[in-house]
Amino acid sequence: MEACSISNLKLREFGCEQSLLSRPDGSASFIQGDTSVCAGVYGPAEVKVSKEIYDRATLEVLIQPKVGLAGVRERSQEQCVRETCEASLLLSLHPRSSLTLVLQVIHDDGSLLSCFLNAACMALMDAGLPMSCLFCGVTCAISADGQIVTDPTAAQEKESRALMTFAIDSTERNILMSSTKGSFSVHELQQCIVVSQKASEKMFQFYRDSVKRRYSKYL
Amino acid sequence: MKETPLSNCERDFLLKAIEEKKRLDGRQTYDYRTIKVTFGTDYGCCFVDLGKTRVMAQVSCEIVAPKESRPNEGIVFFNIELSPMASPTFEQGRQSELSVKLNRQLERCLRNSKCIDTESLCVVSGEKVWQIRVDVHVLNHDGNLMDASSIAAITALCHFRRPDVSTQGDEITVYSPEERDPIPLSVYHMPICVSFSFFQQGTYLLVDPCEREERVMDGLLMIAMNKHREICSIQSSGGIMLLKEQVMRCSKIASVKVSEITELVGKALENDRKARKAGEKCGFAESLPQERITALKTDKTPVEAMDVTEKVDDIIQKAEVPPLSVPSPSLPVPGVGQVGQNTWGLDEEEEEEEEGEEDRDSSGEEEEKGTKTQKEKDKDEVVELSDSEEEEVVILHPDT
Amino acid sequence: MAAGFKTAEPLEYHRSFLKENCRPDGRELSEFRTTTLNIDSISTADGSALVKYGNTTVICGIKAELTNPTVEAPGKGYVVPNVDLPPLCSSRFRPGPPGELAQAASQFIADIIESSEVIQPEDLCIERGKLCWVLYCDLMCLDYDGNLLDACVVALLAALKNTKLPEVTVNKETSLPQVNVDQRHSLNIHRHPVATSFSIFDDSILMVDPTDEEESLATAQLTVVTDEEERLCCLHKPGGTAMSGEKLQECMSRATVRQREIQKLINKVIHSVNMEK
Repeated sequence: MEACSISNLKLREFGCEQSLLSRPDGSASFIQGDTSVCAGVYGPAEVKVSKEIYDRATLEVLIQPKVGLAGVRERSQEQCVRETCEASLLLSLHPRSSLTLVLQVIHDDGSLLSCFLNAACMALMDAGLPMSCLFCGVTCAISADGQIVTDPTAAQEKESRALMTFAIDSTERNILMSSTKGSFSVHELQQCIVVSQKASEKMFQFYRDSVKRRYSKYL
Repeated sequence: MKETPLSNCERDFLLKAIEEKKRLDGRQTYDYRTIKVTFGTDYGCCFVDLGKTRVMAQVSCEIVAPKESRPNEGIVFFNIELSPMASPTFEQGRQSELSVKLNRQLERCLRNSKCIDTESLCVVSGEKVWQIRVDVHVLNHDGNLMDASSIAAITALCHFRRPDVSTQGDEITVYSPEERDPIPLSVYHMPICVSFSFFQQGTYLLVDPCEREERVMDGLLMIAMNKHREICSIQSSGGIMLLKEQVMRCSKIASVKVSEITELVGKALENDRKARKAGEKCGFAESLPQERITALKTDKTPVEAMDVTEKVDDIIQKAEVPPLSVPSPSLPVPGVGQVGQNTWGLDEEEEEEEEGEEDRDSSGEEEEKGTKTQKEKDKDEVVELSDSEEEEVVILHPDT
Repeated sequence: MAAGFKTAEPLEYHRSFLKENCRPDGRELSEFRTTTLNIDSISTADGSALVKYGNTTVICGIKAELTNPTVEAPGKGYVVPNVDLPPLCSSRFRPGPPGELAQAASQFIADIIESSEVIQPEDLCIERGKLCWVLYCDLMCLDYDGNLLDACVVALLAALKNTKLPEVTVNKETSLPQVNVDQRHSLNIHRHPVATSFSIFDDSILMVDPTDEEESLATAQLTVVTDEEERLCCLHKPGGTAMSGEKLQECMSRATVRQREIQKLINKVIHSVNMEK
């Protein structure tokens, strides 16, 4: 059976700053290596009649590329982020209102979709919106020689034969979102899922640490 | 989202304070808020913080055909994007009055002042030139977007490096940064925009208005100037009458402010150049503040992969193995195939009729009808014995 | 009575069926709707196919045009898929520029073409750096009743297999392309990707090939694309209910069976048309 080697897995250094913008109700910038995304959340606020949903809040996700206007690729990423957020937010607590999440690419050096997800989650937390669980994004690449690389850089992404991004929830460590590129075997997929679940532990520990730091009295 | 209206008492309070030469954030009349210039990881990426206002500029380039009227000049294109992140009133993909105004002013300030040498951007005269694109993203709107955008745009242009090219006959080679060092743009001078807001029909004047002040102001004067005290553009809006002396006074203030800002930008560029030369880590990731409680950073973390293989094997072994053989599809007529039973409870007759229609649509042959009885028989057989691969041949009609 | 119940409490209506492990249209949870495939439906296109998944109908037309290869990839042709959801197929689509669903579907199809390597882009090149084929694959939904992606993938694959391109030679002297319309060749199809979509109902019940109604009530959607070598080309789950690895494994097993079914169907239909000629 085809299997990948899974030694020496690493996440690049990552960091986050919350409440960095004054206008949005919640904001965060998330950094993974050189990849960086800035997120801002507005809401719950008044909703346009055409977008109103009678029993829950309407969530809108906008992705702003660095150069030019958003295209079809950004649309599909928006859909992935939106549906992941919808699954974890308790939208029914704010019926007939709107939530807007804006994600701005600051720098793309691989694993962009997972960085979007992490920035989104941190911004939602900063905005103090009620959520049923947290989520984080992990990207795995399978290199040409069958090695799994977690949190790949843009160069590693380019050389890989398959690329997978998963959103993982904080309660059961299950898969909220999955988006893949390239072809791979079932075994490889299952390996990447388990690896991502392991990597998510690190992310959730980071989330916990940053919240702890925020509400601490001293640095 | 609608803008939260400013209440009357808030408006009166602001105006009263301005009359008493006081500002909300404790600044003096001619003071700028703190300006912070940082650079991104790649060339031509610059962030400017002006108090709480935050903008990001990114310069990019590509080779395009030149304009017919100017065959040996490169093209410089500016775009200020009012991202919905900056303020709830900004909407995605709609050109608002504000964004048109800002874009026009940035073009006057940077393009019409000819601060970039466009002729050096020509690759093949009349055929290929570099197009330089400056995208300015407004990330947080706390007033005076114009000054912040103009600083960000010109700094990003100074910071930017375009790839080197060489021409040999028709062939153009674009070199990657590894092959040849990228080339900076030639920037003649740095025009910087300074905004003045006027209150009470021009009686009071403030430099660098914040968002609240912008909302109660009567008029705005924007002066773009370089450090040689040359005015590049001057624009007054809001419909106030200004005296000649007032304009002169503003231009004097502007010249002081511009030389201060130019010096700051120069220092920031110099620092970045040194850091890059020394091979230090530079860019946004490094500018993350460490001393704030809202920020946290970790180092590279290893991920343990201890029982991954066991877990995967466990999942795969537990799963049911899919059956190897699948039922054969039925082919009522050539060119049409079907899998799955008809679950709508249609009786046989109707189904046949439907297929008859499809058949006429697809092949249009009349004699098909004659062979239909034969076909029905065949089809029934197929459905009954639909297990092995062998009878794939059975449904083919010898008479067609 | 049943109709009233359905309108007033659609969720409860579906639940009452699912309790008995069946669905309102009489299917089992892991059963597909009847799938009908017709190829060569459009005589003016270079390749075409019409697919019905129950009521969902998708037609695919492929038009080949000669063009210059891009500077970045001089030895490759390209494929441009586009999914159109006209107001005709459902009352929820409005005329005008493509909506989010259509855009997401177009992107999905483009990703599958790239990931599965169904066609090698090198095969579409006629002369390096000078001339290549561009295949415009237009997928139009005629009737929307859920599971658009699966129907689109089958329509695309069948239409590609049906496509015959004329032989093109480049005249040495004039360096103009000459098209020989009588000599036509089939495209070289390397892989047979087939999509299988699932809906998750009430965070727990997995059902295959959802209808429009089931899709709108579902808590999550999931699409698995596999090819004949049991390699996955895509596992697309845009969000919704969280799923465990075991549950995903179940979906993949079902998708493998479906792939075999559909590949057999396409091959047989193609074969029957070739025999007729």
